[in-house]
Amino acid sequence: MRLSLGCSSLLLQFALLLVPTASIASGYVTGKVIDSKSKAPLPGANVQIMGTVRGASTDRNGNFTIEKVPPGTYSIRASMIGYRSVTLKNILVRDKQETKVFFELRETPIEFDPIVVLAGKTKQRLDQAAVSISVVSAKEIKRRNPTNLIEALETVPGINFIGNQINIRGSTGYTYGAGNKVLLLLDGVPVYASDTGEFNWDMLPPLDIKRIEVLKGAGSTLWGASALGGVVNVITKSPSPEGKLLFSCTAGKYDKPYYDEWRWTDPNRLHYVRTDISYSKQFGRLGMRISAGRFMSTGYTQLGDFKKYNLTGKFDYRFPDNIKWTGYAAYSFIYRGFFIQWKGQNDPYEVDEANLDNYAKTNQLSVYSKLAIPVSSRFAINVRASFVRTLMGNQFGEAAGFNPALGQGMEFQVDWLPHSGHTVTIGMQYQHDAGSTKYFGDHRGFFIGPYLQDEWKIRENLRVTAGFRYDRYQLIGGPKEDLFSPRIGINWQPWSTTSLRASAGSGFRAATIVERYLELAIMNFKIKANPGLKAESSWAYDLGFRHYVTENWNVDVSLFDNEYWELIEAHLDLIRGQIQFRNIPRARIRGIEATTNISMPIRILGLNMIPSLQASVTAMDHKDLKWNEPLTYRPKLLATIKALFRIGSTQIEVDYRYASKIDKVKIYPINDRVPMKFLDVRASYDFWHLTVQLGIKNLLQYNYAPMESNLMPMRTFTVGLQGEF
Amino acid sequence: MNCLGKRMTKTKIILFLLVTVVIGAWLECNIDHGIAPLPGKLGVDVIFINSRIPENTEGIYLFVAPKFPPHAINELYLSPNSLPFWQIDRSAGEFARDTIYTEIALPFGHYEAIGLWWYNTETESNLADVFTLKIAPNFLPASIDITPEEPYVRTELWANLTRVERDAFIEGTIHFDGPFPPNTLATAIGAYFRKPQKDVEYLIYLLSMDFSINENPYHYKLPVPSRYGAIEYLAVFWLSERSGLDDFRTIGFYEDPDNPGQPGKIKIVPNGTVKGYDIYAHWP
Repeated sequence: MRLSLGCSSLLLQFALLLVPTASIASGYVTGKVIDSKSKAPLPGANVQIMGTVRGASTDRNGNFTIEKVPPGTYSIRASMIGYRSVTLKNILVRDKQETKVFFELRETPIEFDPIVVLAGKTKQRLDQAAVSISVVSAKEIKRRNPTNLIEALETVPGINFIGNQINIRGSTGYTYGAGNKVLLLLDGVPVYASDTGEFNWDMLPPLDIKRIEVLKGAGSTLWGASALGGVVNVITKSPSPEGKLLFSCTAGKYDKPYYDEWRWTDPNRLHYVRTDISYSKQFGRLGMRISAGRFMSTGYTQLGDFKKYNLTGKFDYRFPDNIKWTGYAAYSFIYRGFFIQWKGQNDPYEVDEANLDNYAKTNQLSVYSKLAIPVSSRFAINVRASFVRTLMGNQFGEAAGFNPALGQGMEFQVDWLPHSGHTVTIGMQYQHDAGSTKYFGDHRGFFIGPYLQDEWKIRENLRVTAGFRYDRYQLIGGPKEDLFSPRIGINWQPWSTTSLRASAGSGFRAATIVERYLELAIMNFKIKANPGLKAESSWAYDLGFRHYVTENWNVDVSLFDNEYWELIEAHLDLIRGQIQFRNIPRARIRGIEATTNISMPIRILGLNMIPSLQASVTAMDHKDLKWNEPLTYRPKLLATIKALFRIGSTQIEVDYRYASKIDKVKIYPINDRVPMKFLDVRASYDFWHLTVQLGIKNLLQYNYAPMESNLMPMRTFTVGLQGEF
Repeated sequence: MNCLGKRMTKTKIILFLLVTVVIGAWLECNIDHGIAPLPGKLGVDVIFINSRIPENTEGIYLFVAPKFPPHAINELYLSPNSLPFWQIDRSAGEFARDTIYTEIALPFGHYEAIGLWWYNTETESNLADVFTLKIAPNFLPASIDITPEEPYVRTELWANLTRVERDAFIEGTIHFDGPFPPNTLATAIGAYFRKPQKDVEYLIYLLSMDFSINENPYHYKLPVPSRYGAIEYLAVFWLSERSGLDDFRTIGFYEDPDNPGQPGKIKIVPNGTVKGYDIYAHWP
């Protein structure tokens, strides 16, 4: 009886959520957000009524309106990239009355606790998340002036790249471009080639990126397949309330090789140029952002040359009642050489003459459409559909044999705040992947997964998150697998300056079509199919704390333990020279990550400076537990130091990246291996609407090969010009 | 700010820049630069003793082995390019010699063997395609040393590709005494022109090898060269997971019907196939 009453009450509550909001008592909140120093309005700032799904962005005058707010007392928070967030507490909203609030945001060189969405698929403060998350802001991206997403991410604590493959705390290693254990999201929508599982890091112009969030550890409960070792969510800028034109032009000139005997061509001709332009504007309810870019390079090696073009468009339309549709399309065309391995350590920038025709064209189109319907202040519906088409051709000197790889996805998500303190996320995701080439045949598969998560704010300073997801993966005409991904997390803020977090979450990834079926001969090695590959799964345990030593100095320490089952890795048969993807029954990566951010104005040599420092170190122990030996292509120690000095309109930035020597590689263990030691310096000067940048990458001419027979670029001189009108 | 103050600030800035330049220059000169060119070099005159290059030749590579037999094929230094075998005049006659000079860069160290590896266009290459080894007077592989004192060593190799002209076949069935062990990496059949006695002879006397054995019983058809007239040892090998080229375990061999327990000799007919050479193998 009690049970049936409970159910009736829940159903009644659910039904009430769907009652048109106009018939329920409500007030509205209006206000303004300004810069505390200049007192200028801040357009594009986010204002959120905490504990509800209600929020708004400021217009060109810094004003905002949030309608249909049920009467009550709320905390209202304003945030903006590059500014310290402000929360106003105990704001009373009365029925049919306007409540006015006013925010003054203070600019900060380092963004300490921005709002993130990766932790729970809903907006949340970074220091209130139960998992380890890092954020790269648009401001930092602008400062670094990257030519692609890899350069924007390479200094994030715990991240390193082996070739084009991202590793979050050693997640992926190197799988020769087939299968990635990290999920890449574009505005929360998965974007990966459906046959290889790889990302196109050049698809997005850096100009369009609002921020990048990196979830460290398994995240399949909410994000589904591939979120085995982490999730990267690239959030693009929304259309600007006022017409805004952005452009960026970056050119780089490769220095001559450090050793004269490595010269393979006239070094003066080796350079690259990337140009991007973006325009956005709001036309009434319709907003749009259009971007186009071109990236051309001679490369610094033979077959290192490429031409890349990209065109993106983002549109949103605000219907009445705050219903918002967002559409995004990104097209990229790449023509590039494939440098697979050097000719020899004494000719590291050259390839075997037999491979000089190894060029490929890749066309990729990614499209998504999202609809957000805030039914009431406690109930919102989100519907997403996505499509990724990748066509690659002329691979390995052969003319044809590739058909487009097609990935189609659909997701339905409900955000529900049933009682005060609870945020329930319920959803269902469907993804269909298909790939076809003469190298692996014609294959298709799908997964479908319902999920549920509840974040419960027990007290103002204590939050518990619990959720689970069930996935059915079916390879059409092949095996099917059922995967269950639970998760639990807790965040406790015993003092206003300290937060403690603990989480246990699971992840999984089904083998890609390429990992299962590819049959190909490259150089002296043959890749053999392994149709019997099982899905890999993981449990990630994370225990961390974040503490503000002072207002401008924080420390974050995290202990992590990632346990893997059936980890998919490339296996080299040492007898026959065959490469095959196989499951490692048990593996473990555990370690500690410590990060500190500090920023404070000082006076040195009579000059007022605002130096900022971010330092991080990640120490890992990784093991194949069956053979008790290190996993391949993973360093044991990663460290980054980012120092920024700001003097007026001039900024000088120094980045140092270190990775210890990789313990074990697959193909050529006899090749020399060294630690990674890269030092980059940049200087920029802001005037009028422009920023001029000069930089030197790899200042110390360090020669590093992350995987065998592939040297990273030598010292490179860069010059950039960015404008905002 | 007075004039003296301005001058002081300028001096400090200049001093700061000078210190930065000096530190930068010191770092440039003293810090290590990671991977460097290999300091040693081996030059080899490859003397082809005849002009018989098999039509299905894909490449001929020079290899240098720090350890021989190597544990794995990726522990060999392999020349980046094939020797330009296409330069040899195949119509020059049976006994026309030709020489090709090739070089390979190496780190300083001791190398136990130098040889040539043949790659064909039809089948996967394996150990039996090592067709030339530099042999010392004791009939074992000759070693070399590349040292700071002698960074360049020049030597010669005598190449005879008739060893890989596998014009004949042996056929038979391999019967195993049970299912394949779960930790099997590979099972192979190998043909030798002489019965090996020492580890290294398992490579030196090897004429043909096939790693495709994957069922019980297994019918094999092994290509062999006929120029040796006979195969004196035909054996089945097993390799466990994680084992290397130096871990072959003999689990059976073709036995002489008249003298069970002893290897049987198999006469080979040029361009012909000999059949019925069954082998009984016993899992370890």
